[in-house]
Amino acid sequence: MAEIPLAVQTGRPTGSRAARRLRREGLVPGIVYGHGAEPLPVAVAARDLRAALTTDLGVNALLSLQAGDKTILAMARAVQRHPVKGVVTHVDFQTVRRDEVIAAEVPITLVGEATEVLHGQGHVDQQLFTLTVRARPSDIPSSIDVDISRLGVGETIRVGDLELPPGAATDVDVDTPVATGQPPRAEAAAAEAGAEGEAATPAPEERAEAADQTVAAAEE
Amino acid sequence: MLMPRKVRHRKQQRGRLSGVSKGGTTVNFGDYGIQATEPGWLTARQIEAARIAMTRHVRRGGKVWIRVFPDKPVTQKPAETRMGSGKGNPEHWVAVVRPGRVLFELAGVDRTLAEAAMRRAIQKLPMKARFVVRPGTHGAPELEV
Repeated sequence: MAEIPLAVQTGRPTGSRAARRLRREGLVPGIVYGHGAEPLPVAVAARDLRAALTTDLGVNALLSLQAGDKTILAMARAVQRHPVKGVVTHVDFQTVRRDEVIAAEVPITLVGEATEVLHGQGHVDQQLFTLTVRARPSDIPSSIDVDISRLGVGETIRVGDLELPPGAATDVDVDTPVATGQPPRAEAAAAEAGAEGEAATPAPEERAEAADQTVAAAEE
Repeated sequence: MLMPRKVRHRKQQRGRLSGVSKGGTTVNFGDYGIQATEPGWLTARQIEAARIAMTRHVRRGGKVWIRVFPDKPVTQKPAETRMGSGKGNPEHWVAVVRPGRVLFELAGVDRTLAEAAMRRAIQKLPMKARFVVRPGTHGAPELEV
């Protein structure tokens, strides 16, 4: 995996007021840590950060931080966002070595169309969106593609079914579900009601709506 | 309608609505969400109205999550009552919503249907809100800078 160069400014003032001033100037405050070294407060241009983290390599891209005359090999870890604007307000960089095995959250992407599920009016329920992968920095994939074209109603794709690239492994339980072909909601509700021996009782949402109508009628 | 089963204190002070939401700002369960962009109190009736609007539009399929709970009692004095004689009676329940809070989530439907359903639900809310998609899915970017 190629390293993406990213220029960072060191020696930034710390504190919320100083951080706010940096953000106003188009910079993102951040911190570089790892391997027992003293944490280093840095600032990085928001545009450069966006360019570095939105490549094909994804957010787990290996970054070569240019801090003055020093070069630090690192990966972006916790990326804090503003809850409304969505812009990055702070970023953590963890220093890494090329030969060490590290853990990273890799996004899981469903590819293909589950025709059997869709023909049955059901839907695909994705339960796991990221997978913790242990690998060397260069072996961490940008995403894990899961083909759901053969998924049927009631069937589940589990972590054990995923194909990880060579050199990558996961500690997540192999039985953890990733995606399930769910039956239509009405069928699922009827199946649940039948299983509980309450076949005559309507679904909870229908009950709630019926109760609302009763209350409305009483108020009138 | 949603309301607490039991509470320690029947009446509460109003509090302040400044700032942005501390948590619950990302889509965590479904694929799509409604995110508040203004602060406000969301009553149990409004939550229920939005939920019904959404589920009726989706009709079949789909799963809805309600990410807020109305746990704050709001009191009112009876009409034509003189001032004084203490605080009024609890009338309804509200959820305190600050900007950024994800109010509802939806999964199991395509983006067009989800957006249409959630636009209808947003009409039932007392504050401005927007349709959001889980980052990295359904064409939404992984990172916004």
